[in-house]
Amino acid sequence: MLRYVALRLLYMVPVLLVLSFVLFAFLRALPGGPAIALLGERATERDLEVLEQRFGLDRPVHEQYFGYMRNLARGDLGVSIRTRRPVREELLDRFPATVELSIGAILVAVLVGVPLGFAAAKRYQGAIDQSSLVASLIGISFPVFFLALLLKYVFAVRLGWLPTIGRIDVRMLTAEHPTGFYLLDGIVTRDWDAFVSAAKHLVLPAIALGTIPLAIITRITRGATLDVVSEDYVRTARAKGLVSSVVNRRHILRNAMLPVVTIVGLQVGLLLTGAILTETVFSWPGMGSWILEAIRFRDYAVLQGGILFFVLVVVLVNLLVDISYAFLNPRIRYR
Amino acid sequence: MTSPGSAAATDRTALLSVRDLEVRFVTRRATIHAVNGISFDLDPGATLGIVGESGCGKSVSSLAMLGILPQPAGRVKAGQVLLDGRDLVGLSEHDLRQVRGGEIAMIFQDPMTSLNPVLTIGRQITEALRAHLDMDKRAAAEEAVALLDRVGIPDARRRLSDYPHQFSGGMRQRVMIAMAISCRPKVLIADEPTTALDVTIQAQILDLLRTLVDSEGMALILITHDLGVVAGVCERTHVMYAGRFVETGPTTELFARPKHPYTLGLLKSVPRLDERHHRRLEPIGGAPRDMRELPTGCAFAPRCTYATQASWEVLPLLEPTAGGDHRVACHNPVPDAELVAAGLGLGPDADGDAEDDDQWRP
Amino acid sequence: MSVAEAEARELEIEHVGGGLWRDAWERLRHNKGAIAGAVLLGLFVILAVFAPLIAPYGPNERVAGLAATPPGPTAEHWFGVDEQGRDLLSRVVYGSRLSLLVGVVSVAVGLSFGMLLGATAGYLGGKVDTLIMRIIDIVLSIPGLLFAIALVTLLGRGLVQVMLAVGITTIPVFARLLRGSILAVRESDYVLAARSVGTPGRGLLLRHILPNSVAPVIVAATLAMATAIIDVAGLSFLGLGPAEAGLPEWGAILADNQDRLQASPHLVFFPGFAIVLSVLAINLIGDGLRESIDPKLRA
Repeated sequence: MLRYVALRLLYMVPVLLVLSFVLFAFLRALPGGPAIALLGERATERDLEVLEQRFGLDRPVHEQYFGYMRNLARGDLGVSIRTRRPVREELLDRFPATVELSIGAILVAVLVGVPLGFAAAKRYQGAIDQSSLVASLIGISFPVFFLALLLKYVFAVRLGWLPTIGRIDVRMLTAEHPTGFYLLDGIVTRDWDAFVSAAKHLVLPAIALGTIPLAIITRITRGATLDVVSEDYVRTARAKGLVSSVVNRRHILRNAMLPVVTIVGLQVGLLLTGAILTETVFSWPGMGSWILEAIRFRDYAVLQGGILFFVLVVVLVNLLVDISYAFLNPRIRYR
Repeated sequence: MTSPGSAAATDRTALLSVRDLEVRFVTRRATIHAVNGISFDLDPGATLGIVGESGCGKSVSSLAMLGILPQPAGRVKAGQVLLDGRDLVGLSEHDLRQVRGGEIAMIFQDPMTSLNPVLTIGRQITEALRAHLDMDKRAAAEEAVALLDRVGIPDARRRLSDYPHQFSGGMRQRVMIAMAISCRPKVLIADEPTTALDVTIQAQILDLLRTLVDSEGMALILITHDLGVVAGVCERTHVMYAGRFVETGPTTELFARPKHPYTLGLLKSVPRLDERHHRRLEPIGGAPRDMRELPTGCAFAPRCTYATQASWEVLPLLEPTAGGDHRVACHNPVPDAELVAAGLGLGPDADGDAEDDDQWRP
Repeated sequence: MSVAEAEARELEIEHVGGGLWRDAWERLRHNKGAIAGAVLLGLFVILAVFAPLIAPYGPNERVAGLAATPPGPTAEHWFGVDEQGRDLLSRVVYGSRLSLLVGVVSVAVGLSFGMLLGATAGYLGGKVDTLIMRIIDIVLSIPGLLFAIALVTLLGRGLVQVMLAVGITTIPVFARLLRGSILAVRESDYVLAARSVGTPGRGLLLRHILPNSVAPVIVAATLAMATAIIDVAGLSFLGLGPAEAGLPEWGAILADNQDRLQASPHLVFFPGFAIVLSVLAINLIGDGLRESIDPKLRA
């Protein structure tokens, strides 16, 4: 197992190297450049040159690349051309925001999707089953941004139950944020007002982002449960005289969870896409909106650092999923 | 110790007594008449074989006894399943749970799929023990080791933490048996316990079952399509066709003098090693009945060479033959002369079983 | 599975006769969801084709004055008017043309390139296969919308470029699918049998492999069309959609008006629900198709 993990980690190195190069080349091939994007169409030649010189954009591309990689090796991700802040600093601000949002979304998806899919399968073709199928189909037909706007309109604008934008009440922005995860910060610093405010801000974005994974997980759980229910070992468990809740939990759900875990792992990459849209609607200061702004401004350093980091996270999460899979399924042994 | 094979015959209380059991599968498109009124008695320690082709309702009967018919389609339409005089049909789920695994245990056909792949076999054995005997974790684990030992799994203590895929097919079936006998049930139902196994392993598993039934004093119901299997193990054999018993009796008698054309057909299609002259194996022509509707006459009539007008019109009931305890449900039982011609009816040594030699118990 | 279950299941599959496609058609006809989807999609097609007859005004016709908070639905303007005084109903009706066009063109792009790549990889095998599939694996690991964003930034923001970009993101799905079914069919007994009686190679591909790979591709194409419509709307929402001025694209209408959510929610709701309904229609059909082509697939 250890050997397997080590190999997977080692295999990531060339992938990331190639990706960094492709990304670098791709960004330079884009029409327009950071100077124009930043200074606008009416900037003079002279202004552009000065700016390019300052950020080393006038040097040959390969020189820029090796320079970037040298700095990267030292942990220096460069400076954002738009905000003039170090990319690493911005990343540490933005990353926890997106992780908090994504975990919230996954929790919504799993905590609702698994029981719902299971209940649907247990009453195959019953009322819950039929309506969950229809609901999940409607769920995947909603564009994330529209669902986000709808939720915002109903629960924030009309009913006023929940805040419309941001991660936390503005007055608490200055509070201490040792981890950058606001919910966790609230607990660590025992600032319960901050915790409640952060939680309230999280609800709508998490639901919006979690709805499509929710629909998918419901369907997968349902399908997997239907397959497992008719397995011989479930009949064996019943014949043993076990309580039906034990049969459900230990024998059916445990086996049905195997494909669900795989799907949850696959959702991680898709969450960023959703996060870009969700973060835009709720002005959530995360990676998605950060990268989107960087694209508009051709902010090379942010795009390179942000996307590389994101890919790294996705790959690591997938590795984690594979490892947890081995614990759930004894038939799988990694070597 | 044998018990009479038909419903009407006895008024003393058997250990397990099934009375006119009928099972239906009701789906949106069709109703399947899976079991159409079977009755039998089982005394403590008795061994009964139920033989028939796939789909004749033999497995369904056993699932019905335990109340674990596939839902929502399966239901017991009529009849009683009396265990020590208590009717299991209509018993609450809570009470039925005590019966399952506790008083009646079951072994299934395919040991590859009948064990949960993600739980250790130790867990799967102990969960039954803990559910029925209220043992603590430690005691249950000790008991599980003893059980694995008894069914002949070497190095039992270490193997407790292994998963099913780490066992061979034969070993898995031993695990299934250990699990089934764990709570010392009064009745053990073995549903095609050897069908999925290699021939050599089959004999070992049958041996094990026989030994266990003897030593534990359990009653055994052995369900199979293979007459060779019952011959070695069961005192009595009931032949089932289209959800009904068509012939019942002591195994020796049934093998020596099959009266129902279907039983004869089954016997003819079993290969025998003791054959002096090589006989052609004869398959039974035609296919099993479509169980979507109940026939008016004998269900076997369409495939039967002896069928007469009456076979098509009147349902034959189990009636005693000259052989006393031997009963047959047929308007035109096979004449003895026919048996001799078929190489059967030659006496007790003409059984169809090849793999053991002490099958004819007194 | 017990004997009884096997029996119960077998009976559930109705025997119609007349081959795979007729069976599938029979099942599809009895699938309420698919019927509903087809009716709904039919409505959108009618809206798109007869937009000039159905829409009360032109998509860019001024029917009211400029307003910061344009009024919602009235008897005259069912969907209300927008900030430039245009009739929203007319814009949404004309928008259906764009969405359907986007769906069809994107999928056509993805389908043709994807099938070509997949068929090449699957039929030639060897190094070509490895190379193509490696690239496709990498592309597939990039989330679709992110990839589309990158492509649009590279290609520019015309309607054609946007459709092309979204279409390209669907290539890997089709390539993989076709390659997978070709590999499966190529090794199957009936193709081996055909080969053993001397059916020449190219004939084999056309006559045996392709028809058998078509079913899953049709299902994927339907679902990809739904995704394409959502993705183009998403691009528009992020300000990266078709840049042609005055284009009544649903995502763009919605994006332009998201700041008016509080005062004029109709400007967000109507185009939004138009997207949901059209995508739902296609998903219903795709789901029905999947179930009817492969009844074993229940997930």
